[in-house]
Amino acid sequence: MSLELFLFLVFAAVAAVSGILMITRSEVVMAALFLILNLASLAGLYLLLNAQFIAVVQVIVYAGAIMVLFLFVIMLLRPEHEKIVTKISGIRTFAFIIAALVFVQLAYVILKSHPGSALNSDVTASVNAGTVESIGTELYTNYILPFEAAGFLLLAATIGAVVLAKRKFE
Amino acid sequence: MNVDYLVNSLYLIKPELAIASALVLLVLIDLIMGNNKKFLPYVAIAGLIAAAYFIIGQFGMNSLAFVSKSNKGMIIADPFGAFFKGIVVFASLFVVYFSIKSDEIKASFERHGEYYTLIFGMILGMFFMISASDLILIYISLELVSFSSYVLAGFTKTALRNSEAALKYVIYGGVSSGIMLFGISILYGITGSTNLYEINSLIQSSSIPNLTFILSGILIFVGIGYKISAAPFHFWTPDVYEGAPITITAFLSVASKAAGFALLIRFIKITFIKSVDSAGYWQLVDLIDWKTFFIFLSIITMTLGNFAALWQDNLKRMLAYSSIAHAGYLLLGMAVLSNQGMIAIIIYFAVYAITNLGAFFVVMLIANKIGSENIDDYKGLGYSQPFLGVSLAIFLISLTGLPPTAGFIGKLYLFIALVDAKMITLAVIALLNSVVALYYYIRVLKNLFLSRPANGTFEFKVSFSNGLVLVLLAAPIIILGIYFTPLVDLAKNSMQILGF
Amino acid sequence: MHVPIEYFLVLSAFMFITGVAGVLTRRNAIVIFMSVELMLNSANLTLVTFSSYIGNPVGQLFVFFVMTVAAAEAAVGLAIIIALFRNKQTMNVDEINILKW
Repeated sequence: MSLELFLFLVFAAVAAVSGILMITRSEVVMAALFLILNLASLAGLYLLLNAQFIAVVQVIVYAGAIMVLFLFVIMLLRPEHEKIVTKISGIRTFAFIIAALVFVQLAYVILKSHPGSALNSDVTASVNAGTVESIGTELYTNYILPFEAAGFLLLAATIGAVVLAKRKFE
Repeated sequence: MNVDYLVNSLYLIKPELAIASALVLLVLIDLIMGNNKKFLPYVAIAGLIAAAYFIIGQFGMNSLAFVSKSNKGMIIADPFGAFFKGIVVFASLFVVYFSIKSDEIKASFERHGEYYTLIFGMILGMFFMISASDLILIYISLELVSFSSYVLAGFTKTALRNSEAALKYVIYGGVSSGIMLFGISILYGITGSTNLYEINSLIQSSSIPNLTFILSGILIFVGIGYKISAAPFHFWTPDVYEGAPITITAFLSVASKAAGFALLIRFIKITFIKSVDSAGYWQLVDLIDWKTFFIFLSIITMTLGNFAALWQDNLKRMLAYSSIAHAGYLLLGMAVLSNQGMIAIIIYFAVYAITNLGAFFVVMLIANKIGSENIDDYKGLGYSQPFLGVSLAIFLISLTGLPPTAGFIGKLYLFIALVDAKMITLAVIALLNSVVALYYYIRVLKNLFLSRPANGTFEFKVSFSNGLVLVLLAAPIIILGIYFTPLVDLAKNSMQILGF
Repeated sequence: MHVPIEYFLVLSAFMFITGVAGVLTRRNAIVIFMSVELMLNSANLTLVTFSSYIGNPVGQLFVFFVMTVAAAEAAVGLAIIIALFRNKQTMNVDEINILKW
């Protein structure tokens, strides 16, 4: 087994298990912590895929900013544990069975279509695609318009969050 | 580095630039003027008029903006986009006026700056949605529209049903945009590009794995279907329409839906088309049976919308279900898959926009005075307020699609397109649906005109400006119902999509 | 590249389904939002995988935008939860029922 495959299996196992644990824990804080673990293992997978820039941004933005926001809100509101989940366990099992079936279908589609055969995976091209330089060049030339639109999106979201969360305007 | 192509493309996105400048101006004016908020609506209206002026110029254009060596273009300026942007600006102008008059919005006076800024955020997002030709821009603009509307739906946060509507909206919206993103990621994986034109040329030339393609198409449709509230993804519509402030409900039901349909038509017609034959029928890449797909969707959407509307007592909620039903009729025009069907959609949408704005305006005027949207509280309105009663009657008859209103013309062109495409059964089903719709619209009219009012409920005056706006909305419905040639000409001009 | 692309795609499909199952089974609004984040991340993994195997940076650029959207979505969604919590003292979606679900 090559080192790459070994690392992939480790990160993938952590990501999958922490995902499952996230949606099954009844304590909200535990769920949030498992999500952080999941996001961190994804950063490892991005490194395996030669996407250095995205791996770093993943840690900084997701684990560093978004999840901290989630944890702050959880601490602020102190939600009680969910009781209702156990009460309707029939629906729950049903949902999981459906999910498993859909997953089998998705995996079938993926394996059937053999995406690997159509792609000539060239390691140099892949490494070059993941650098800050190539992403930055694309971002500030071809994709300048979505970049500006994303700026307006953040402005709207900031204004919106302030409007909703502020208790009273003086 | 050569940036000339960026600068040279700016003249193609003038409407977007106008809206973006107005948005920034609104934020600045709100900051500088402090508690003096009465200029904000006028700034908004000025920005909208500037955008409208530039949009009229776009009817003559037909080109891609931001084209470079490695990119086939980010945004399209063509008559089709100009028409739908026109609908958005038209609706926005009225919604800004409604906001000046609405008691609900007046009550949150100190947040008016944020209110108009977010409305402009929505307009900007819709403009990009209507004219984008790149999946990244489509995704970003969809989310820009969504975030602004989540906040606006919960804007008057003192009312509990407001925050509830916002929460339901944000959960459904988050899930469906997540599903759509997964579909987009698969589509990118199959083709290696995010540009719609490039994806189209790849699909036509090479062999694409069929199954994966269908999967990604269906996943992407979830996101678009959510925006136009097509049947399996409509659950948010009644709750959000009922819970949101009326001005926002009117805006969502007209402008947001216009942007969604423009995106749907452009996405299907650019990405999947092989050729258009001489009779105007589209030959799509035969990955799935497109016709059956759209027929199925439109039948369940309109049947569900119409039947659920039968049991509603709240007029806002009833109009929400009726707007789902109208999305179903519009999808019929998609099912034809021809230029004729597209003309029918454009005519139908122009009429639907005017009518729905009018209906929500009347509901708002009455809710301002009696504080209720319940149909039973409208008893006898036609006697004590004949002007409001008759206008509401005109709007409802047009929504049903009876002559001599413009709604009839919209339905007529839709049915002609269906019959020409030899889809008679579908036309009959749509006709039966209209009969169901007749029942619940008539129920409101019965309350308006056939019951006597409890004394003193409707003792108020409609101000001159409100009356004028009401006439502005009601008169075109009657006029276009009789003399509809200009509407048809406009539709024929604006059906041209760049490239095909 | 020693790891077959299929492995990455199956993992991302698995995470996507986990997210969907979380949305369907959980009743706490915050956990529902976290499940949506999981769905977005599975799409990100697909994008980065394809981008890396094709050797084209656009997919990773897309991930960059998705992260922007995810941050904005978390901010708006959590603000809405806070606004609702002030009125109703709950974040259980089953108890939020003035309007029918």
